Amino acid sequence: MASMIEIRNVTKEFKVLNRREGLKGSLKDLFSRDYKTVRAVDNISMSIEPGEIVGYLGPNGAGKSTTIKMMTGVLEPTTGEILVDGNIPYANRTKNAENIGVVFGQRSQLWWALPLIESFRLLKDIYQISDADYDGMLKLYRSLVDIEPLLHKPVRQMSLGQRTLSDILAAFLHDPKIVFLDEPTIGLDVSMKAKIRTLIHALNKEKNTTVILTTHDMGDVDALCRRIVIIDKGKMLYDNDMEHLKGFFGNYRTLKVRAEGDLKAAAEKISAEVPEFPVNADEEWVSILVDESKSGVMDVLGRIQSRFSIKDMQLEEISTEEVIKKIYEEGVS
Amino acid sequence: MNLKKYLSLTRAGIIESLQFRIAMLVMFAGNLLYLTVIYFLWRSIYASSGSEVVNGMTFSDTLIYLVLATALFGFMEMYAVWEIGRAIQSGKIVLDLLKPMPYRRYLFWSYSGSFVVNFFTIFLPTFIVVAIVTHGAIHMGVNLLYFVLAVVMAVIINYSIDFIVGTICLYTESIWGINIMKQVIVLLLSGATIPIAFFPEPLKTIVSYLPFQSIYNAPLTLLLDSGQDAVSAIKVLGVQLIWCIVMTVISKLFWKASLRQITVNGG
Repeated sequence: MASMIEIRNVTKEFKVLNRREGLKGSLKDLFSRDYKTVRAVDNISMSIEPGEIVGYLGPNGAGKSTTIKMMTGVLEPTTGEILVDGNIPYANRTKNAENIGVVFGQRSQLWWALPLIESFRLLKDIYQISDADYDGMLKLYRSLVDIEPLLHKPVRQMSLGQRTLSDILAAFLHDPKIVFLDEPTIGLDVSMKAKIRTLIHALNKEKNTTVILTTHDMGDVDALCRRIVIIDKGKMLYDNDMEHLKGFFGNYRTLKVRAEGDLKAAAEKISAEVPEFPVNADEEWVSILVDESKSGVMDVLGRIQSRFSIKDMQLEEISTEEVIKKIYEEGVS
Repeated sequence: MNLKKYLSLTRAGIIESLQFRIAMLVMFAGNLLYLTVIYFLWRSIYASSGSEVVNGMTFSDTLIYLVLATALFGFMEMYAVWEIGRAIQSGKIVLDLLKPMPYRRYLFWSYSGSFVVNFFTIFLPTFIVVAIVTHGAIHMGVNLLYFVLAVVMAVIINYSIDFIVGTICLYTESIWGINIMKQVIVLLLSGATIPIAFFPEPLKTIVSYLPFQSIYNAPLTLLLDSGQDAVSAIKVLGVQLIWCIVMTVISKLFWKASLRQITVNGG
């Protein structure tokens, strides 16, 4: 099967003016030709199959949005090749636009003053969706979410959650082959997040739409993605299955203990006791991230217990969040 | 070109404009105020000149011209510079660029709805009132046809200028100053604030070689100047058509080049 998205050795560089400080510097900047080159994306390659949901992760400023913009055709790569459903997106942006849907969590593509149904009708005409397809899609939407109350509400009166939901529905309306979701659950409450995850999952299943999801919420990743790609500072760090990810870092588990007295002080002492592992304290627990390839959790617990009286303890499997954090902070070695 | 996809944008624009009833009232009141100022200003100009006819125009000629120019402004002004500038600053432009049609067209048709609304709520009522109050100062004949053609082209020229200025915002990332400058230049040189007949000779010559007079002066002259023959009318329309093509091509090419700059160098 041909790949839906094919990215080969793509690099994107920006020229940025070196800004100087202060009034004098700002004045000098007016005439400055002093540019530096910033490499936002550095030689990444990946290939994404039809129907996949890929989590595209990385810390802020890692180059995620730049990559997405290149895939949508808004930016042109400095070197390398991108093919989206056989099209070169930047060379053929308008054509490519028919094949893709986008949701940028921070802003809406809907018509602000109009009821949602009018935005849908407009998109129907703009994307030239046939009556049958349009009706079919609305029927599917009705079966997935309770859209009736939203349809006749002007977008500007919607809550952020309702608006995001509407934006996602709008992005899928023309049954695109690929949908790019850029932080779709940002700023939403827990139940709305869950609703949106279910919706994305169902639409992906139903229409076999390829979904590229960028997010900082590991809940999204756990709920939706089987494969994740991590980049940082423009470089690809990881591209593989979720299951593989956890094993990738050896056997990490989090040991949480509650000791007598001040937790911060206890955390410091514990840290001295087990210097090989990172120790953190919050209001309730002192947590120790244990690498079981170095020493067992029971061993660590024993060492701590020989010095402190422990009131309570918990053992947690490492969460995706912690693995990702570890990759962001330490990279893949 | 599939017209339906564009007319759908017009339809949405109409619905959208109609949502803002208060804004329409405020605009109406603002226009009325502006016209009152114009009336007293020009009355005192004529009073101080001590003659009935200044630069070939009587007081009522001037007033009719300026009232209709204001009405035309209310209908043609699209604030596209604002729209482009804001879209660039907020980053919304990325979403607009991802619509399956060229941005220049998308923006024009998104605005077309407000043309329709403003035509019926601002221009037509003003036109009718002027026609009734002045007892036939507006000749009703073939000049109306010329006028309609001229307005259509004026809208296109005006949009192209707006679009060019909006494109400049891609580089400057600021809107306010540029927009004000554009507005002053266009309104002055197009004869919307002062009839071109009042300009000093050298300026008149310069203006006749610029596109701006095709926006306000051309349609209004065609409408109001009853003494003209078909040949001179067609000449005016011809000049307009040339500007229409030239400005459209320039705005398209400039946008294309600028967008390339942006896609290469990031925005």
